[in-house]
Amino acid sequence: MDIKPIVELQNLTKVIGKKKIIDDVSLSLYPGQITGFLGPNGAGKTTTIRMMVGLMKRTSGEILIDGKPLSENFEEGLSKVGVIVENPEMYKFMSGYKNLVHFARMQKNITKERIDEVVRQVGLEQRINEKVSTYSLGMRQRLGLAQALLHRPKFLILDEPTNGLDPAGIREFRQYLRVIAETEGVSVFVSSHMLSEIELMCDRIAVIQNGRLVDIRDMSETAQSHYYLELSPAETAQSLLTSKGYAVESLPVGLVLQAEKNQIPSVIQLLTANRIEVFAVQPHRKTLEDQFLEITGGGQIAEAHTK
Amino acid sequence: MLKLIQNEWMKLWTKKGTWIMTLLLIVLVIGLMGLTKWINSQNTTEPTDWKANVQEQLKYTNEALQLDLPESERKQTEETIKILEYRLAHDIPPLAEDSRESLIINPVAIGSLVVLLTVIVAAGIVASEFSQGTIKMLLTRPVKRWKIMTSKYITVLLFGILLMFIGFIVTIACAYILFPAGGGQELKWDGNAVVSLSVWGHGLYMLILSFANVIITATFAFMIGSVFRSNGMAIGLSLFIFFTGNTIVLLLAKYEIVKYLVFTHMDLTVYENGYPFIEGMTITFSLTVLAVYLVIFLVISYMVFTKRDITA
Repeated sequence: MDIKPIVELQNLTKVIGKKKIIDDVSLSLYPGQITGFLGPNGAGKTTTIRMMVGLMKRTSGEILIDGKPLSENFEEGLSKVGVIVENPEMYKFMSGYKNLVHFARMQKNITKERIDEVVRQVGLEQRINEKVSTYSLGMRQRLGLAQALLHRPKFLILDEPTNGLDPAGIREFRQYLRVIAETEGVSVFVSSHMLSEIELMCDRIAVIQNGRLVDIRDMSETAQSHYYLELSPAETAQSLLTSKGYAVESLPVGLVLQAEKNQIPSVIQLLTANRIEVFAVQPHRKTLEDQFLEITGGGQIAEAHTK
Repeated sequence: MLKLIQNEWMKLWTKKGTWIMTLLLIVLVIGLMGLTKWINSQNTTEPTDWKANVQEQLKYTNEALQLDLPESERKQTEETIKILEYRLAHDIPPLAEDSRESLIINPVAIGSLVVLLTVIVAAGIVASEFSQGTIKMLLTRPVKRWKIMTSKYITVLLFGILLMFIGFIVTIACAYILFPAGGGQELKWDGNAVVSLSVWGHGLYMLILSFANVIITATFAFMIGSVFRSNGMAIGLSLFIFFTGNTIVLLLAKYEIVKYLVFTHMDLTVYENGYPFIEGMTITFSLTVLAVYLVIFLVISYMVFTKRDITA
């Protein structure tokens, strides 16, 4: 890609005690792209994000924001970043508006009009002058998004952003992220344990496990065509198809075959010719969850889901 | 930086607790003044002749001079004698105990009250950001951590100063409402001659001296609050030190080390009101020791705060 990345992690490493929490992570994030950040619990998602926003010090490696190292240009770097780290904890004893004024004062050149504009964008006009302690979790999420957008960041980091939003809210949120990514060229980095969420939202995913980046892929790559076959005896069919050069995976009932649509008739002919009984053939969409299990070797997914 | 202080000030005053504390200060000061008035009204002894009083005092002081006094005490006693003699010679009565001037000139009770309240704010200003979880919002802004820390510290000091002034103004108001103006004049030996003291100037000076205590105790609370991120611990430890300081000094009075303890120097008003705890100490020495402690407290606070990984 010849577009210049907004954020680059270069060999980022974090050691706490003797343990390497983050091990040599390198990653580039580009304008207009939404990148999902996946990993089981304790894989290092939050630690990585906290190093990117200045909450934690890195042990070695560098974070470049807009080409400049964050360690030398902390204030300039972070003024281009909007952050929601986990649940946005606001000052509960103040009104939503005062909270925004508070964060606006910590940035350069944010006008009253800009604050009002952001409040409208996240749909909080009705309640903005009430105390945050009276807000529902969803409203706090909206306020959290508002403070992250105040200074028109070039880069938006979201840690578990849809936590506590209702389905309509999640959908709206997703569309909103799309809009700012596409129209304003903002680069978005979302960590989430909701795999289906990431699947719908992201252009690209990065998977981290045990502090190492194990995979980066574009979502378009994952749209390979798969077919589900219900047949008997499955073992014979699997070895037969494998011997013909197909990628086959066995499920508890049936097989998943990687093949193009025009190959299917010949596959069926091959199977019936070998006296294998075919009960059903249907297109199979591999979900991100399946891929995630593949990449991380499974096991920890349940944990990641119940976080 | 101004905007950061504005932020801290806004957060401070949006909390109900701050208003309650300020109100409490006003109520307590009024209460104390009322109590003084009540006690005075119970004392219905005949007004005595001030000249007789001064003469008697002079007699005692002269007797004290015959004893084997340490150098600094001897000097002070001699000064007292000079002042008393001056009063008799020039017919200047001392301030009457129940006059408004005598209340304004020595407003030390305000200092202790302000210490208590400022410590609460100082302890919470960093610790509460951690306990509310807002610290991660605060530190992901494009502002270096030392600036945030400085804005918080300045806010604590401003709060202390404000409370001192509120306390002083309430004292003055009460003094004018409750107490009669009295004749008399406060005198002081300035090294060469006996001079008269301005009530307002000296009152303000005492206020500033007692503010040293506010600064040092609040800074200590600020340090504990930012190192241990615990509001309660910071308040507890600071008040413990504030209340037990004198006892510790008395216990250790025999040893040289007591000179270098912070407790010995926290109450600077002793240099005006009476004798310092320890023989041969000057206000300059006290200020130096306090300054050293202040710097140590602040360095620890800043180091811990700017280096810490935020994991909460």
